[in-house]
Amino acid sequence: MISLGLIPLFPLLGCIILGAIAVISSGSKKGPAEGFVGTLAVLFPALSFAGVALLSFNMPEGGIRETLCNWIDIPMFRVDIGFLFDGLSRIMLLFVTGIGSLIALYSIGYMHGDRGFARYFAYINLFLFSMIVLVLSDNLLLTFLGWEGVGLCSYLLIGFWNKDLKNCQAANKAFIVNRVGDIGFLLGMLFLVTVGGSAILNYDVLSNFISMVINGNHVEIVVPVLSVAGILFFIGCTGKSAQIPLLTWLPDAMAGPTPVSALIHAATMVTSGVYLLARLGSMFALLPVVLDIIVVVGMLTAFWAAVAGLFQNDIKKVLAYSTISQLGYMFMASGVCAFDASIFHVFTHAFFKAALFLGAGAVIHALAGEQDMRKMGGLLKKTPVTACVMIFAFLAIVGFPGFAGFWSKDLILERLFMNCSMFIPGFTIFGHEVPNIPLNGVVYAVGLATAVITAVYMGRLIILTFFGSYRGSKESEEHIHEAPAVMLIPMVILAFGAVFAGYLWADSIGIKFFAETLAPVVGAAQAYNTPAVTAHLNPVVFAVLGTVAALLGMFIAYKIYAKARIPAAKGSSAPEGGKATWTFLFDSIHKYVGIIPVNVLAWICDVVVDKVLAAAQWTLGAIATILGDGVASFQVRKVRVQIALSILGLIALMVVVLLTGGTL
Amino acid sequence: MLLHLLVLAPFVAAILMVMTSKEDAKSSSRLAILMGIGFTAMSVALIAGGSVSTEAIEWFQIPGCKGPVYYYLTSHGLASWMVFLSSGLSLVALISARGITCRSYRNFAIGIFSLMGAMNGTFLAADAVLFFFFFEAMVIPAAVLIAGFGGKDRMKAAMTFAIYTLVGSAPMMVALWYVLTVADNSMLISFAVAVQGLPEGTQNVLLGCFMLAFLVKTPIFPFHGWQAITYAEAPAPLSAILTGAMSKAGVFGFIVWVLPIFPLSMNAVSGMMWLGLFTAVYGALMALRATDGKKLLAFSSMGHLGLAVAGVFSLSEAMLPAVLVLLVAHGISAGAQFYLMGIAERMTGTRELDQLGGLSSKNPVFSTLFGFAGVMALAVPGTAGFVGEFSVLLALWDMGPLPALVAGFTLILSAAYMLRFIQKVIFGKAAREYEEGRRTSPLEGFSIAVMLVLLLVFGFHPAFITNSLVEPEATENPAAAQVLNNAALNNGEAPMTEEEIHQLDSTLAAAGFKDDERASIIAQMKGDNSSEAVTKSENSVKETSDAE
Repeated sequence: MISLGLIPLFPLLGCIILGAIAVISSGSKKGPAEGFVGTLAVLFPALSFAGVALLSFNMPEGGIRETLCNWIDIPMFRVDIGFLFDGLSRIMLLFVTGIGSLIALYSIGYMHGDRGFARYFAYINLFLFSMIVLVLSDNLLLTFLGWEGVGLCSYLLIGFWNKDLKNCQAANKAFIVNRVGDIGFLLGMLFLVTVGGSAILNYDVLSNFISMVINGNHVEIVVPVLSVAGILFFIGCTGKSAQIPLLTWLPDAMAGPTPVSALIHAATMVTSGVYLLARLGSMFALLPVVLDIIVVVGMLTAFWAAVAGLFQNDIKKVLAYSTISQLGYMFMASGVCAFDASIFHVFTHAFFKAALFLGAGAVIHALAGEQDMRKMGGLLKKTPVTACVMIFAFLAIVGFPGFAGFWSKDLILERLFMNCSMFIPGFTIFGHEVPNIPLNGVVYAVGLATAVITAVYMGRLIILTFFGSYRGSKESEEHIHEAPAVMLIPMVILAFGAVFAGYLWADSIGIKFFAETLAPVVGAAQAYNTPAVTAHLNPVVFAVLGTVAALLGMFIAYKIYAKARIPAAKGSSAPEGGKATWTFLFDSIHKYVGIIPVNVLAWICDVVVDKVLAAAQWTLGAIATILGDGVASFQVRKVRVQIALSILGLIALMVVVLLTGGTL
Repeated sequence: MLLHLLVLAPFVAAILMVMTSKEDAKSSSRLAILMGIGFTAMSVALIAGGSVSTEAIEWFQIPGCKGPVYYYLTSHGLASWMVFLSSGLSLVALISARGITCRSYRNFAIGIFSLMGAMNGTFLAADAVLFFFFFEAMVIPAAVLIAGFGGKDRMKAAMTFAIYTLVGSAPMMVALWYVLTVADNSMLISFAVAVQGLPEGTQNVLLGCFMLAFLVKTPIFPFHGWQAITYAEAPAPLSAILTGAMSKAGVFGFIVWVLPIFPLSMNAVSGMMWLGLFTAVYGALMALRATDGKKLLAFSSMGHLGLAVAGVFSLSEAMLPAVLVLLVAHGISAGAQFYLMGIAERMTGTRELDQLGGLSSKNPVFSTLFGFAGVMALAVPGTAGFVGEFSVLLALWDMGPLPALVAGFTLILSAAYMLRFIQKVIFGKAAREYEEGRRTSPLEGFSIAVMLVLLLVFGFHPAFITNSLVEPEATENPAAAQVLNNAALNNGEAPMTEEEIHQLDSTLAAAGFKDDERASIIAQMKGDNSSEAVTKSENSVKETSDAE
């Protein structure tokens, strides 16, 4: 059996070697050989994937635990560097390293000829290292190392083309907004430490503690403190997973190279919030208030982002808002304690969204950097493989029966209806008793409506890009070409996943493999809350409703966009008017709530306080100078006065010494 | 012997430097760097060697005082790490200064060595008067260096620096002298005893005098008037030493000279903590608006040290290791940033942020170093800064959630200004045409890279730093054994209730058990079968017996 430490070690080695190559070769004109660098860049993630696969087949029921060494050891606080490989981290690791390797392969083609070729792959390997540490660690602090590490890599890769200051600003924004969330994570850990000492940061200890609390019927005692901790952790998750209110960075993050968007901002990093909720599931299951907040936030995010997705002209922006919306689904599922369903959606989403992004990358590559969908069209004949990949992934994301998204999304919607115990408390109005109003129907309806909108904006994307006739300039039309094989192979593999990944948990046909592998980890948490709806409903009803939603959305998209004349693109691809207001709603909230107050405070410090202090300081100095000038007038050339002053001074000194009890 | 060497030999080295050629910068720089390496090696040996003291040699007698003043040096974990910072940063300064001060390198090295000797003396002195002597002596070489090698406004900066810090510590001199007239001698313990016996009003005045000196030196709001101009005008290698090592003398003074001597009231403690936090926020906000690269770094340093002072006055159990790691991390990372900013200034001829930019395409190696130094200053986990800031946050948590929240807020602000700084200096396109000055020399780049690697090493294995604070404990704790026995007896009985467990927990805590040991014992008590908890507790028991 191989050591768990090897899995993160491979990408770390890759990062160090590639980083060294990047720095050493930075002086030369030509740069390092791309074949060599590319081989290394794919080799290390692939080795890591192989390691994970090997471990996966031999994993005992309870998982593998391994403590490498001590990390921090100070009074009151002791944390080890240790890894935990169980059902949850197995699934996360399999697709993180697997998709990571595929996207590294794709990047060789995409980044061909870029001056920062080696640097790019060094960052990708560093990202994979951080992501692996995030999911493999056995305690919260080490997870936080990965958590900030992936944020750092995201910053480095969004601002990869750093000559353009716009990219740098997008990168800064991503890092700072994430930092806000990270502080929530940090404070959440501190809250937990007050509850149970530093040992409780370990996941095993935490779940033991929780089960101890449940067994001893002490839930009410710990819930207030844990609720605060839970909310703080959730703030951390909203930052990393782009939920309301910390979601503004993700659309901007599309400034990075497209494979980065596929890997970091769609498949892996942004789902780490969902992972964290599942990992801490046993704790969250106790906290009904926090769970309700999560459902509401997820619901609002899913709906808002889906509508914003309708308004975008930039192909990558559509996918970015789509990612936010899908993450909203995952959070809704976490909010009703359906952690296995949320992780299942993370899993299927990773395939179809990565395929969509890589497809978009291939389209952008083919059109020499054009991202505005209004200048595309009719690419089905020119780039057939890309088109097929994207259409398969499209069918998966809208939830067309049989495709991956169908299984996971329907599962979430079903769980939302069955498990959501949110309600408006009963009240009395005009003497009438109004009983508690359950809200599970509302949540379900919003989820379903979002599914319709999803199908509309995705249908719009596919129609504008691949159907109709080409709307770009004549010269550019001649250069359109299908992507090279090194890019197509990963895309085809991912498309394959987008079709079949759902069959790991096809409830309707009785396959529950996925749920069973997760059961040891999240089963207890899910069993804690009883379903709100106890009546048995046929799951086929949900499947049918979901299918109808998808078909309806596709039909609407076809009706509106297939025949419509697309207005010629002018200027930037950003939405305008009311669409812009909706899209940048949270940007303006951030501006008024965060940025402007801080700037005002800084202005007060700089222009008012500091100037007053400086004035006081110079006034004191000036007074001293004036006094000195005055005293200098004693400096006269009269010996008698001089001697008299000296004697006076001496006497004064002696008096002081005697008075304070000294002897001469 | 090592202690004497670290304090006195730098002055000898300064005299040796006087004898080298003024014209031949190459040969004198070689000698200086060799000696610098020697001092750094000695400081590492000092850390490795643990706590040592010299013999107390009677120095002189102040008229009117009871006891003599001693020349007495001692080292403990905190002091030896500060000495490491001062000698290590001086070494890199000597390397980096080769690019700036070609003509009078000799004089620069003389100044640096005298400064190093004075700083080492400050950190190692066990006698209050000796401490004060070195504390004041630091100012003079630094001011001379600023006046000799600084930027455009160097005279003003040197005067501001010297007068501000000297005036700030003048009351401390009076207070020292007053305490000396009542204390048996000038050692720390007799000071503490003497102060305990004084009336409270006098105590407070004395405390104020001591505090002022350290508040100015750190600097803490509102005594930071000298800092920005000094750090900006001083030659970059000197700024690195000033912020990386000399400003630590203030925090060091709080820990070593204020906390043990004065019985502090709760108000004073929380007041100082909030002052530290306010300084942290203030420094970060000022850094957000700074237009001068070195001023930005100066305010960033002010913010970090404010956080350190807040940590000191949390008086938590975890305070000392937390603050020490933070200080070492800040010393190295802020030092590295100042060196790099100095190189940027040398290459482009400006330190105005709006005039810089685009260095990443012109000088990729420099920019890699610059970017990573910046990122490490953000306290990303895995760097020493994270361990320091997280544990300071943990210490502040003892005082309540609000201080920790404010400290968290400064972490967000620090990300904002640091990323802006990185972007302005190395990204984008160059803001103007310029004649390129000397690039990073290999040795310079290498030494800064070593500093960055050190940050990573301490980030993943902070035990290098924290272990130097642990005194070997040999005494057996009878109460602990008692509790363990009781626990063993209870094992067969019915599962304990929450209250009993809570009680046990507090008993264990009182008996000096660590958190994880407590947790594992409790897990055992619960009859928890998870094998891990059991092995863990066995391990911890084993550790305890090993220690015994």
